[in-house]
Amino acid sequence: MFTTNPFAALTAYMSPGLLQGYIILMVLAVVLGTLYDLLHDRKARFFFQERQQSKAAATRQLGAGERMLLTLRTLLIDIATFGEFCNRSRRISHCLMFYGFVLYLITTVVMVFAYPTDLAPPAILPALWNLGVLMVLAGGYWFFLLLRVNVVHDGQPPWKLVRADLFIVILLASMTFALLFEFAYLAGYELLAKLFAGFYILSSTLLFISVPWSKFAHMFYKPVMAFQKRLDEATGASDLPTPQEGAERCPPSHT
Amino acid sequence: MPTFTYMSRCDGCGQCVDICPSDIMHIDPVYRRSFNIEPNFCWECYSCVKACPQHAIDVRGYADFAPLGHSVRVLRDEKTRIITWKIRYRDGRLKEFTFPIRTTPWGSIKPPFEYAPPMAGSLSSPLLAHEPEALMVVALPALSALGPQH
Repeated sequence: MFTTNPFAALTAYMSPGLLQGYIILMVLAVVLGTLYDLLHDRKARFFFQERQQSKAAATRQLGAGERMLLTLRTLLIDIATFGEFCNRSRRISHCLMFYGFVLYLITTVVMVFAYPTDLAPPAILPALWNLGVLMVLAGGYWFFLLLRVNVVHDGQPPWKLVRADLFIVILLASMTFALLFEFAYLAGYELLAKLFAGFYILSSTLLFISVPWSKFAHMFYKPVMAFQKRLDEATGASDLPTPQEGAERCPPSHT
Repeated sequence: MPTFTYMSRCDGCGQCVDICPSDIMHIDPVYRRSFNIEPNFCWECYSCVKACPQHAIDVRGYADFAPLGHSVRVLRDEKTRIITWKIRYRDGRLKEFTFPIRTTPWGSIKPPFEYAPPMAGSLSSPLLAHEPEALMVVALPALSALGPQH
């Protein structure tokens, strides 16, 4: 089953052109949603104010080499391995979700645009697509059921959903229905496949058009803030005391 | 002087929620970041400020008496058992103070159930639990030589 193009199967219900147009629309929805979120919540204004304050408070200027080194550290530690998190479980679950989602997105775009009706594209593509979906589901359900801070630390029941759950719930729904659709189609359950395909398209649409209200865009903001934090430390603009020799970045968690 | 959270620095780990003795640090339902639900009830104990791994919590002074533009930031490191404060005065002066952590290490206090149960006769004793040995004296001074008429 991991060698079949699920989107070629989806063309049984909608034309390849329509599917390609849908993906372009969803990319536009994410871009516009992020811009709306940046402007409406004044996040861009806040960031630029912080940036100006940091520049004014800087006690030393960085050279091009130092900036490059900071960028590399941010990329390798804060973005690639989610080094910001002190909680190892949250770090691993975010890695699973992030890399799974990236794999899923890339392989989806390649299969929809390069192999729209080919049920058997290069085997690596559907294999990676399925791997991506499974990674998102593993990391996502782990996070949703066991790691949500309002449940683990704030005493809320696991079944209580708040607006902050919008992104994770729709993401999990989208990935779950994608996999269910694939199973049903390959098993020959026509009606079920059609039903799950409908839910898959619906949840994917919600995932991408809900950016202004969900936490989708935090994956774009966090790297920028991580770089700014490193920059502040390096230029002396940070308001924190100078760390002691041998001090650890993450304090031990006693709870 | 209540606490507040820099939302862009907070990663929603929940350490402040656990440590707040006033139970006023909670998780925002929209952003899943911590916030102070009742600033009026904040004791300014700095527990959450010190516990936050992202240093995302700060304490704001009331505008009518706290000098505007000041800041009091802290780094607490349990490994080296050193706490460092960075104070920014209103005129821009910066000072850093470093002290050893003097609080008892976490988990080193013997919980009550590990002590032997008190004797029944202790109920009529004027001494409190573990006195006088916990006060590191042989005996507490007594006023028995003076009668109640004095």
